[in-house]
Amino acid sequence: MIVRPVTITDLPALLELARCAGRGFTSLPANEERLAHRVRWAQRTFAGQVERADADYLFVLEDDDRQVVGISALTGAVGLREPWYNYRVGVTVSSAPELGIQRQIPTLFLNNEMTGQSEVCSLFLHPAQRRGHNGRLLSLARLLFVAEFSQLFGEKLIAELRGHADEQGCSPFWDSLGRHFFKKDFSYADQLSGMGNKSFIAELMPRQPLYTCMLTKQAQAVIGRAHPNTEPALKILGAEGFSHKGYIDIFDGGPVIEASVSKIRSVRDSQSLALAIGTPDEQAPVWLIHNRRLASCRITSARAHLHGHSLLVDRLTAKRLQVQPGDTVRAVPLLSQARQAVAA
Amino acid sequence: MLALRPVQLSDLPQLQQLARDSLVGVTSLPDDTERLRERVLDSCASLATDVQSPGGENYFFVLQNLDSGRLVGCSEILASTGCNEPFYSLRNRPFSSSSRELNIQHGVPALSLCQDLNGQTLLRGFHIDADRVRTPESELLSRARLMFIAAHPQRFAESVITEIVGYSSDDGQSPFWDAIGQHFFDLPYAEAERLCGLQSRTFLAELMPQYPIYVPMLPPEAQACIGRVHPDGQEAFDILEREGFETNNYVDLFDGGPTLHARVPCIRSIAQGRKALAWKSSQIDAWGRYLVSNDGLADFRAIVAELNVDADGPVALTPAMLAALEVNEGERVRVVAL
Repeated sequence: MIVRPVTITDLPALLELARCAGRGFTSLPANEERLAHRVRWAQRTFAGQVERADADYLFVLEDDDRQVVGISALTGAVGLREPWYNYRVGVTVSSAPELGIQRQIPTLFLNNEMTGQSEVCSLFLHPAQRRGHNGRLLSLARLLFVAEFSQLFGEKLIAELRGHADEQGCSPFWDSLGRHFFKKDFSYADQLSGMGNKSFIAELMPRQPLYTCMLTKQAQAVIGRAHPNTEPALKILGAEGFSHKGYIDIFDGGPVIEASVSKIRSVRDSQSLALAIGTPDEQAPVWLIHNRRLASCRITSARAHLHGHSLLVDRLTAKRLQVQPGDTVRAVPLLSQARQAVAA
Repeated sequence: MLALRPVQLSDLPQLQQLARDSLVGVTSLPDDTERLRERVLDSCASLATDVQSPGGENYFFVLQNLDSGRLVGCSEILASTGCNEPFYSLRNRPFSSSSRELNIQHGVPALSLCQDLNGQTLLRGFHIDADRVRTPESELLSRARLMFIAAHPQRFAESVITEIVGYSSDDGQSPFWDAIGQHFFDLPYAEAERLCGLQSRTFLAELMPQYPIYVPMLPPEAQACIGRVHPDGQEAFDILEREGFETNNYVDLFDGGPTLHARVPCIRSIAQGRKALAWKSSQIDAWGRYLVSNDGLADFRAIVAELNVDADGPVALTPAMLAALEVNEGERVRVVAL
């Protein structure tokens, strides 16, 4: 398996993945025209032809038979072309010591504080391929890419996790808040925002803070709660140092998790190493390895041995990465130390 | 005969009984002798002040049975809101939710804490014995205040408002309070109103939400309370509505009750009242009921009387009426049809 930039010839495979992902996956619409537009834009991004504000790094996961089985994305910056809104879950205090009243009222503050940060998004792995290290490779490849090209990204990476919804796909948070201002179902708002209209809908909503006690009990219960489907993504990014600092999506109340780039494990622990070819043994740890290129980026995971400043991998891995012995690569163990200990 | 007059310190014991009987949220009369005494003294001091423009003066009136001496009701006028402390209310106006790109434009009603009603004359504290509700005497208790304003315009603002008590259930539950105030105080409605009487209303208002509350986000029971009158407040509402008062976009921040307002020149009892010379007659060929007052301050008096009043002549009053009004023959009285 390798992760590489998308190309226009991937379009049929992407359409298939989009159909498989279903309507809930709004950033990957099963619409040829819109997908083609996104792919072309990604190609221009990898070619260095777009500004950071518009950059959309779209990666695919491809097996050795050249089958595209997954997709993930990384944006240069959010909120530089149109406002990017979140609520921050804060507090206002209602206090009258003379009456013994001291109430902390949870309050949602609309903000644009994530402006300029980069977003990891649009991850989808074909259900048949959800095994081994595939999910981790598809997700972490983006972080290693950021480690190599940090000047192309913001100080922080963020991820908006889908919020909690019921069996019918209704969002209690939306029903208690957004619906009063947009007067449409969540699924419709969700589709529209997938088409890039999110800030327009956001602008229908009040700018003033909102007291969470005015929301329904069901809505209050899902503030900052991720959809169970996002559990694997949350686990992977959580182990990398992403955490929830109180920012949520303004539509479904799902958590926005964030991490400073320099503190992300895959960034912090990654190093540039000279590649050597040999035969790593079966006990060698699995590494995430990047060929350090932008337009012809290749990232894979493989067993490897670290010897001083060189990384020993097998011939197939070098071939997958399109590198020769002696070329430098950027690499980091796929699993954090703690997780390796558990795996051992 | 019943007569309305400014309160005196000697009324204190009876006032305490009125305070106990009055509806939660109406008078905020504290069942507390010391606080009641302050209220009475405040009214006396207001009457003694030479006022050029309205301020924090409060005029407190009682309705007394002249035969028994018993007090049967009370009412008040605050000369100007917002002088001693801010006057808070909730403004109910649509938040405009619009997007040019999505071609959407709609208004979402929102309640915002505001001080828009500062600087207006406030009628308040209307309370009458249950057996006198919807009688000419309850008209007297309410409207004599308007005649007092007519007699002393420099003491009052150009615009008069009143807050009508909002809906609460028989066991003292207010759905509006439960949906809003409760979150900010963690106190039951009746307890909050009691604190208003003891502390100041402003004191509690300042604990209320500073950011708008969007009406569709409230439970339906609370939405239904916006502008809804408590059954016991209906008479106060009806009397002033007939006087030309209208509801506006403001509601009470605790119970959601409506606010009524009118400009002084448009108030019926003020616009249609006229001054007439009083003359004494033991026999009156009455053909209508009228409110009659003198133009006094501390000696202000008002009664209901059956009279024969023509467009511009003098008006005949019985000796008992003249005595109740503390007016001598040949002096002027103010008369308006009931």
